[in-house]
Order: sequence, then C-alpha cells, then structure tokens
Amino acid sequence: MLIPLIFLTNCSGVKQLSIFKEEVKRQELNLEKPTPLQLEQIKWIIITSENADEVFKKMEEQGLDPVLFGLTDNDYQLIAKNFAQIRNQLKITNDILDKYKEYYEPKEKNND
Amino acid sequence: MLSFRLFFIGLLISAVIGAGAYVMKLQRDNVILKENAVKLESAISEQKQVIENQKKDFAEILEANKKINELVNNLKKDLDDLDKRFSKKDRDIGKLAIERTGAIERVINKGSDNATRCIEIASGSPLTEEEKNATKKSEINPECPSIANPAYIPY
Repeated sequence: MLIPLIFLTNCSGVKQLSIFKEEVKRQELNLEKPTPLQLEQIKWIIITSENADEVFKKMEEQGLDPVLFGLTDNDYQLIAKNFAQIRNQLKITNDILDKYKEYYEPKEKNND
Repeated sequence: MLSFRLFFIGLLISAVIGAGAYVMKLQRDNVILKENAVKLESAISEQKQVIENQKKDFAEILEANKKINELVNNLKKDLDDLDKRFSKKDRDIGKLAIERTGAIERVINKGSDNATRCIEIASGSPLTEEEKNATKKSEINPECPSIANPAYIPY
C-alpha cells in the first residue's frame, strides 16, 4: 500500500521551471577611424601644338624638368570621372561604416 | 480476528501517512507553481521588451538604409552633373582648350582642387564653416555639392 503511495506522490511532481538568461556583452571593437586624407594639390598644364614651346620654356625658367605626362582630352574626362567614382565609393563606404558603428555601438551604450 | 484488526489498523495508518505525504507534496507543488507563474510573468514582460527593442532596431535599420540610398542617389547625381559639364551642348573640351588655353587651364585646375577637396571630405575630413553655410552656386563646391555643401539646395 505504501509503495504505490510513494510512487503517486513523488513521481508525478511539478517540475520547477528554469529560465536561463545569459547576456554576455560583446566587447566593443572601437577601432579608430582612419585619419581623413590631406591631399596635395596638383597643377594641370594644357599643352597644344601652338603653346608647346612656350610651356616648355616656362617650365625651364621655373627650374622644372621640361617633361609632361600627357592625357588626351577624352582621357582627361575619363580620369575625372574615375576619380569621382572613387570619391563616391569612399564616401559610401565611410558612411556605411558610421551607420554600423551607430547601430552596434550607440552612444548611450558607450556611456553605460 | 486479531490479525484482521492489525491489518486494518496498518491500512489506516498507511492511508493517513500517504494522505499526509500527498498533501505535503501538493503544498510543495503549489509553491513551485507560484514561483513558475512569477517567472513566466517576468519572462513575458522581458519578451515584450525584446519585441519593443526589435521594433526599434527595425526602424533604425530602415532609416539607415534610407539615408544610404539617398546618399547613393545624390552622389550619382554629382557624377551625372560632371558628365553633363563635359558634354553640355556638344561641348568639346579639347577644342575649347585649343581656343582658350589659359582660361580652360584655370577652370581645370580649379576643378581639380575642388575634386581633391571632395576626396578629403569623402575620407572623413570635417566640413569648413564656409562649406557648411554655402547656399549660392558661386559658394559651393560644384564637384560634389551633395557632400560638401549640405545647406545648398539646387536651383
């Protein structure tokens, strides 16, 4: 009689509910943003068949080597567009990086 | 007769002990159930908070995407404007350079300086007060007004 009672009282018990909460805050990456570029200014010289002698003479007067690395007008346009594309990509990448930082490491969290 | 009585008394004692044990078990279960209820309530409240946070995150994600898309469109417009400047009204920059060498050289050098500044800004260089406050065409950096002159509205 006792044995069934023991079974009845101990085996069908209510189990204690366990809720696990494990929040391990990930260490912030905190990489320094790269220093903004400070570019050198370059000087473009337009050389035509008419002004070539004058240009080279002027360069010699200024103590520069009388040599020019040339582009055609079409290639000048292409290089300008290429630089504009590089600039756009740089800006987008930088802004995306900022957005990621704002999202994953917002300032209020940093202040905690 | 005596053994029957003993058996009956034993049965009675067993029943009383069993009943007592069962009641105690019920009491223990009751305590656990109450604790579980409290935990569940707390879990529900935490889940609500999680859902609220998720909603906030989604809103932030949408906003970030919107801003990046706006930036991409503005930069694309800057690039189109550059293309137009080269080919506006069948403009041939080569012929112009032959005809007005000095003037075009100045224009190209000014454009080159502006484009250089645009790259600096794109790499994270802070805007100057002049750049921030520019609202007129004569004040802006025509190579990249969308990033260099936030106050400028094209007219």
